[in-house]
Amino acid sequence: MGTTDFLILYVCTLGSMLACRCIPLFLLKGRELSPTVSEALGLIPAAAFAALVANDLFSPEAIASDPVRGMLPFVAALPVVVVARKSGSLIWSALVGMLAYACLLFATGSL
Amino acid sequence: MPSADLLLYFLPMSNVRNAIGESLKAALPVMLGYVVIGLPCGLMEDAIGFTPLQCFLLSCTFYSGAGQFMIPNLWLAGTPLYSIIASVSFVNSRQILYSAAFSPFFRNVGRLLSFFFAATVTDESFGVNMERFGASKSWDATHALLVNLFSMFTWSIANALGCALGALIDLPLVITSFAMTSIFICLLVTQTITRKTGVVIAVSAAGVALCKLVGLSGPAILLGALTGVVAGLIYGRRERAHGYH
Repeated sequence: MGTTDFLILYVCTLGSMLACRCIPLFLLKGRELSPTVSEALGLIPAAAFAALVANDLFSPEAIASDPVRGMLPFVAALPVVVVARKSGSLIWSALVGMLAYACLLFATGSL
Repeated sequence: MPSADLLLYFLPMSNVRNAIGESLKAALPVMLGYVVIGLPCGLMEDAIGFTPLQCFLLSCTFYSGAGQFMIPNLWLAGTPLYSIIASVSFVNSRQILYSAAFSPFFRNVGRLLSFFFAATVTDESFGVNMERFGASKSWDATHALLVNLFSMFTWSIANALGCALGALIDLPLVITSFAMTSIFICLLVTQTITRKTGVVIAVSAAGVALCKLVGLSGPAILLGALTGVVAGLIYGRRERAHGYH
């Protein structure tokens, strides 16, 4: 990628990113929010994390091409859930997740 | 005996020192995760001709893991530049939700601090700061910004390093990227789960799956999360109407 392409990409993506990151906070901060808006804002963390997890685990293309390989992220997620519930530790969850996924990939000959 | 001025001078400094320590502790898991996935991200950026300086600049301003992984992948696949910009912007539109969710905590915070905080939020720091804002009354905008900055500079250095070391590093990306998935899982399962949040989680996940099945991978996270929030509001309304908890 040349310097001109990089600069176009950089300016455009940075502009859209800053707009998404900053505008809502500045529009809503300091305002008296209605109960419905407050309730909706309180639901965002659970919704966002569920969406991020589902997005990472579910790949229709991977399941279609190799169903066993496509289901491995779901299986690797199980020990992470147990460790996360018991310890609440992000580090342990990340380590257990990587280890479980590596073992599963190795066991199924996908690594 | 120190004068009142001296005390006033040192008091904020000790507060800042405390905030640095507390924020570093909170950000550490994210920072370690960023080292693990920042290196391969820099490696991919090196593959499309980015310099370490460009990687660093992109990482500490644009600062998006998903976006920075997408750019090399799409470029190497021959995707036109305008299409890369649109796809990356679509994927990052979920930041709108994070920004809105933080607004109640920034009611009395100055513009500059609010701007720097908002401009440096990511999926992971959103999770860490949301959890802390909910759990501790002493967690404030300074703590939250420090979490963002520690995470951002770790990500930026790992990216630049990955780019500089290039082909010398051979990390299986498929495994290292599962570290971030695991962090999201931890942040999800440590939420307070009620019937309403259960509905939100189920509908959000189903919404993402449906979007991906119909080929809407770009905005899947945003649309899935929005659907979940709407479902939660409807469920909450029904809950109140029927008087059960």
